[in-house]
Amino acid sequence: MLNLRSVEKSFGGLKVIDNVSFSVKKGSRTALIGPNGAGKTTIFNLLSGIYEVDNGSISLDNNDITQIPARKRIDIGMSRSFQNIRLMPHLSTIENVMLGQHHLANSARENFFPLGLIKSNKWAKLAEQSLIEAGLGTYPGQVVSELPYGIQKRIEVVRALVSNPKLLLLDEPAAGLNSSETAELQILLEKASSTGTTLLVVEHDMNFVRNLCQHVVVLNFGRKIFEGTPDEVSKDPQVLEAYLGGDDNNAS
Amino acid sequence: MLILQQIVNGLMLGSVYVMVAVAFTLTIGMLNFLNFTIPALFMVSAMITWAATAAGFHWLVAATFGMIVAILASLVIERFTYRYMKAKYGDATEHALPLVSSLGFLIIFEHVVIMIWGTDPMTFNSPFAHAKFEISGIIFGIPQLISLALSLVLVFGLSLLLKKTQLGRALRSIAEKPDTATLMGVDVGKIVPVVFVMTGFLCALAGILFTVNYQHVSPYIGDHVATNAIAGMVIGGLGNIWGAIAGGLLIGMVEVLSIHFWGADIIKVPVWTLMLLILVFRPAGLFGHTQIGKGKF
Amino acid sequence: MSAYMTGIIIILCLNIIIAYSVFLPAAAGQLNLGAAGFMIIGAYMDAYLSSADEGLGLPIALTIPAAALFTGLIGFLMSFPILRTKGVYMILATFAFAEIVAGIVLNMEVVGGASGFPVTTHTELEVLLPVTVGVVLFGFYLISTRFGLSMRSIHDDESVSLLFGVNTHLVKVGAFTIGAVLGGLAGALYGHQFDYIEVQNWGILFSIYVLLYVLIGGTQTPWGPLVGAMFFTFIPEILRAVGDATGIELFTELRFAAFGVIIVGMMVLRPEGIMTRTFLELLFRKSTPKSDIKLS
Repeated sequence: MLNLRSVEKSFGGLKVIDNVSFSVKKGSRTALIGPNGAGKTTIFNLLSGIYEVDNGSISLDNNDITQIPARKRIDIGMSRSFQNIRLMPHLSTIENVMLGQHHLANSARENFFPLGLIKSNKWAKLAEQSLIEAGLGTYPGQVVSELPYGIQKRIEVVRALVSNPKLLLLDEPAAGLNSSETAELQILLEKASSTGTTLLVVEHDMNFVRNLCQHVVVLNFGRKIFEGTPDEVSKDPQVLEAYLGGDDNNAS
Repeated sequence: MLILQQIVNGLMLGSVYVMVAVAFTLTIGMLNFLNFTIPALFMVSAMITWAATAAGFHWLVAATFGMIVAILASLVIERFTYRYMKAKYGDATEHALPLVSSLGFLIIFEHVVIMIWGTDPMTFNSPFAHAKFEISGIIFGIPQLISLALSLVLVFGLSLLLKKTQLGRALRSIAEKPDTATLMGVDVGKIVPVVFVMTGFLCALAGILFTVNYQHVSPYIGDHVATNAIAGMVIGGLGNIWGAIAGGLLIGMVEVLSIHFWGADIIKVPVWTLMLLILVFRPAGLFGHTQIGKGKF
Repeated sequence: MSAYMTGIIIILCLNIIIAYSVFLPAAAGQLNLGAAGFMIIGAYMDAYLSSADEGLGLPIALTIPAAALFTGLIGFLMSFPILRTKGVYMILATFAFAEIVAGIVLNMEVVGGASGFPVTTHTELEVLLPVTVGVVLFGFYLISTRFGLSMRSIHDDESVSLLFGVNTHLVKVGAFTIGAVLGGLAGALYGHQFDYIEVQNWGILFSIYVLLYVLIGGTQTPWGPLVGAMFFTFIPEILRAVGDATGIELFTELRFAAFGVIIVGMMVLRPEGIMTRTFLELLFRKSTPKSDIKLS
């Protein structure tokens, strides 16, 4: 469904993404791994349109999306979470989730319907339902900046999910979560996957990757160095070298 | 001849704007903070110079009082605007807080001065009222000439200081990369007050020279001077010291010339339209230079 | 009601309306130091249309909305250049806008230039009070909509809002334009209360005060401008009353300076304004107490 063809990106003469090509199959759960600075987040920023691609192309369902502006990518079914929490700190949990619904409700009528005054509207109910399904039903009215890190992290995933994406991009969703929170996150993602959402996950925690993903793409210094199943990846000498050579030993 | 005389007068007035504009541009450039206490510091030093002279002190002693009060006040302001915020949020660019606090200080200073001395404009008996000379029909006031020279020398020295000294490097490292400045061994807590001392010093000097040159003070003089100094700063580009000098002198000349030829009000519209156009389309200023004030405040 | 009380309520109402005018863009993260500009446009447009002597003598039911909408149009057109700027630049750009407006009106002889312009139709609170209530309700309504949600999202994180499909530019233009309409409305109403308008009333200090109402009140909730305007209108009067009651003249004389002290103090104690989301939560708590959440 998602195809990157010879994608390149430079910053100030430094090539951070060099001739990267890979595909993500429809309905699959794919991981993008690599040592720090390998260019994983850059790939995500290229996919979500924050950066422009210098060379190469990106296509989704056989449509070239390389030139589609960032704001429109959610309309074609791409949604993402962020490495550092990027929730709206002054909004409540439910309002953050409602932001995720924005492109589904983007008509003049929906834009000027007083959501906050008429509490029993369908968007609030939908948002609350999604939160309950994610095990976060306790905090709809709380301002998110007051919630613990692990909960904020999962709210971000819910916010991305409620936009009904075909492709969900998750940038280190399990980072900083404890083991029970990680388990809950995995259930949430498996549920999304079972309804047909394709997952592309950047993650350092190799156990999480092994449990969730069938396919792994490995980046190092902006290049793709390997692609295969989690088991193949952990045996590949090039990958081991990349991780041991670097200062990052998270790939256990 | 008449035009030349007006240009000379304009440059003299402009030299006052230059100092205030440099004070604005320094705080914006270094700390990304639009310091609204600057008009108050200017006015307070002018009022104290006038009041102390009126009370019988030698004008130099009076000016020293004005200077000391302005610098101390600026340090107090630093404590409650920039430093407090820094301690609490770690990043001064995120909140409007220092801006609001500085507006609070502006109100405090203006009203304390009004309470003590009232709102009427006062006349300052300058010891140099008649010190002037003439070159081919153009009159040069000696104190004005001195203040022009002084402001240029000072600002030139300041930019040398920023370029060549250890202190200057530390200040610039805060301006460019506030997050890594600490890592590079810069003691931000000690360096930032230096900016505020400079601000107090420049404003006080401008206020004293204004009092001596134009021989009148009122609690509202700061507003007019600061407004024009802001215009000068914008013309020169935010955070650009040389731009502030050129912009300040330019605004001084435009003001004097336009009052002479067209009256006071009409010039406001083209000047502020130019401001708006520069801010929108050429934020680096007319002369184009790296600007520093990037973020939110 | 005593004339004194009526006077305070008139000022309070006008302060509230102009505060919402600056609040709307501020809720979307855009600081406007040009409230005076909108006020002047609205006041002069309305005065010219409604004044019997020197203007067109139209009824105020027509002229007040017309003045507000005209100000909105100017605000809409100005929002395009102004919204290209950010932060300090935007503060200065809006300030420049107000100075341009003041400069133009000062030189327009048709509206009296520097000597001001008379407003012949006088109204009492019967117009101002309902309009103010309407503006407050409108503020609460707008913030509760998805449009308001977009505004607040942009305030918190513009680039993420964009990624979720929010047309951030359109929302910012919208907030600024609606703000301009309210600013024009405040200006138009001002004239009918005080019967005479002059540009000198609306200088930089006016714009500063309005921005302070909003920032001290808080930009996170629609309570902010309401509480901020009340705070700024009542505190000087309370200080004066204390001065009168105790006979300590210092209170009366110091009241504006004390006001500055309160502003600085407020920023130390409540840097995000009086009315924050968390404060409202404390006031109207319905959900589980906080301690439960910390445990999970």
